[in-house]
Amino acid sequence: MSGRPDAADAGSREGANDRGPAGRTKPVALAAALACATLMLPVAGCAPVDANQGRDVDVLTIGAYSVVREALHQGLLPAFAAKWKAKTGRVVRFEESYNASGAQSRAIASGFDADIAILSLESDVDNLVKAGLVDKTWKDGPGKGMVTRSLVVIGVRPGNPKKIAVWDDLAKPDVSVLYPDPKTSGGARWNINAIYGAGMLREGKDKPDPAAAVDLLRRVQARVVNMDSSGRQSMATFERGTGDAVVTYENELLLQDKLKGEAVPYVIPASTLQIESPAAIVEDSVKRHGNRKVAEAFLEYMRSDEGQDLLVDWGFRPLDPTRDRRPLPLKLFSMADLGGWPKIKKSVYDPGGVWDKLFTTKAPKTNDAPKRLGTGGRAG
Amino acid sequence: MRTEPSISPGGLAIRGGVLSYLGVMVVLPLVALAWGACNLGPAAFWKELSNPFAWHALKLTIITALAMVVVNIITGTATAWVLVRYPFPGRGAMNALIDLPFAVPTVVTGLMLVALYGPTSTLGAILGAHGWGVIYQSPGIVLALLFVTYPFVIRSVQPVLYEMEDAEEEAAATLGASPWTTFRRVTLPTLWPAIVTGAGLSFSRALGEFGSVIMVAGNRPLETKTSPMYIFGEIESGNRHGAMVVSAVLLACSLGVLLALNLLQRRPGGDHGR
Repeated sequence: MSGRPDAADAGSREGANDRGPAGRTKPVALAAALACATLMLPVAGCAPVDANQGRDVDVLTIGAYSVVREALHQGLLPAFAAKWKAKTGRVVRFEESYNASGAQSRAIASGFDADIAILSLESDVDNLVKAGLVDKTWKDGPGKGMVTRSLVVIGVRPGNPKKIAVWDDLAKPDVSVLYPDPKTSGGARWNINAIYGAGMLREGKDKPDPAAAVDLLRRVQARVVNMDSSGRQSMATFERGTGDAVVTYENELLLQDKLKGEAVPYVIPASTLQIESPAAIVEDSVKRHGNRKVAEAFLEYMRSDEGQDLLVDWGFRPLDPTRDRRPLPLKLFSMADLGGWPKIKKSVYDPGGVWDKLFTTKAPKTNDAPKRLGTGGRAG
Repeated sequence: MRTEPSISPGGLAIRGGVLSYLGVMVVLPLVALAWGACNLGPAAFWKELSNPFAWHALKLTIITALAMVVVNIITGTATAWVLVRYPFPGRGAMNALIDLPFAVPTVVTGLMLVALYGPTSTLGAILGAHGWGVIYQSPGIVLALLFVTYPFVIRSVQPVLYEMEDAEEEAAATLGASPWTTFRRVTLPTLWPAIVTGAGLSFSRALGEFGSVIMVAGNRPLETKTSPMYIFGEIESGNRHGAMVVSAVLLACSLGVLLALNLLQRRPGGDHGR
């Protein structure tokens, strides 16, 4: 910061000597100073590289999706730092960046030198694999590359005045629903997959039923009033009073309780989707920063019992179901049950897929009224 | 040096510098966008443009912008008229307040509108009970556009009104013309280039409005998703070309409006002619 005024001063003094009134040259000097400052920005960004060498400080840069911010910043990072200090005597300093998962993935792919990527969707890590930054074998280790889990649930108003218990209730004509736009939010895709999957794997059917899935999704989408660009914004809209129900991650709702001591009531639909979020080491960055050890130790810590318990404390579900203390839905399905991310991306979200067709084609007329999906919902 | 006529090397350097600056700051990005939109050929361009989502977003953007322009022409001209012709207490303050919408971050504009007309606000609840949804519906988009373009028509009409002699109007009045006839036959012909300028500027500005619209539109595909929101969504979900095509169309519209305004101002009677 101190460089800028100096440069400006020097510029105007110089100008005063060879060009007369200082007033005329000042803008030039200012522009020069600004240009210098702009040029110096990337240099400043490289500083952590040096900080690693020859001192007892490790620097770990974390590029994460926004939903894990509080759990990391207030929970796991300090806990890991204490552990690392006790084990190695070294101080670990974190550089943290939180952004929407897709945006974060693109930032890392285009040069943001995070050592660890913690993202919402597997496909966002796959993009880093494609960019040659993450090892192809990232899914082979413990947890299959995942670090945390959650459920897709429905946040409701206190007392649940609209009596929402299952996905079909979101399609009732007097209910207004919020979830983010799947075009801009990875989280929205989890939410929409949950509704789509619940329709697909309806009880009493022995085969997955794509028509029922599209039908349920279409009826719920008809009740959506506003699609924000991220899950966080969607939550904010809900808190400002819009909507009877918000489809979101369970941990996002539990976080409100943790941060404000004010729980957002929610229901776990009888049949819902298990969210699994991955983390991976960005090979390119750890190679340059020479901090592979601490990066590996941190990922290991995230998956350890202690790390998992901390995540549970922040509202997530543990990788190991036996450590789960919260109620589970009657039926919990995963992306694997729906055929995996690549298949869902292609059939639902790619141009001309299910999502587009919701809006471009009219609902088919059917005789059988939609059946309700049981009544296993529980208030949280 | 400075007193010499134009051909000095310093003068040339300044002109060259300014022109290159314009090139780098404005022309190059425009060319890059046009190239990005067109390099796959007209068929690919048309395919992206005729996509129902892109097409609807463009239509919605243009229709809401036109609705805004109609309101803006009437209210903006009236506001300028009142400010110039009628002294009243607080006129100075009002004159200062008019530029405020330019200084407000557009996201804040959106937030203010949600607070005022949102479904949970008193006003929003009353309107909603009568079936007039504002926020998360297209009227919300028009309101947001009206707010962010508020000063345009006023600020282009105001100086013309100041310069206008009221002798002609008085003459018309003494010859027995009604106030409305006077306005229509005498005042309006002088004012209209300025009104069209303000309208054109606000239309161009509205085509790209993102920050406030994203807060109030509802963002539902084929219903309330405007072009800037469509562009953002396509970029985020990896359809760069689709985003560029719609951007290029918006840009072409803006450019067309600005060029037309420029031509208009060169005609005799235009007040900014050179």
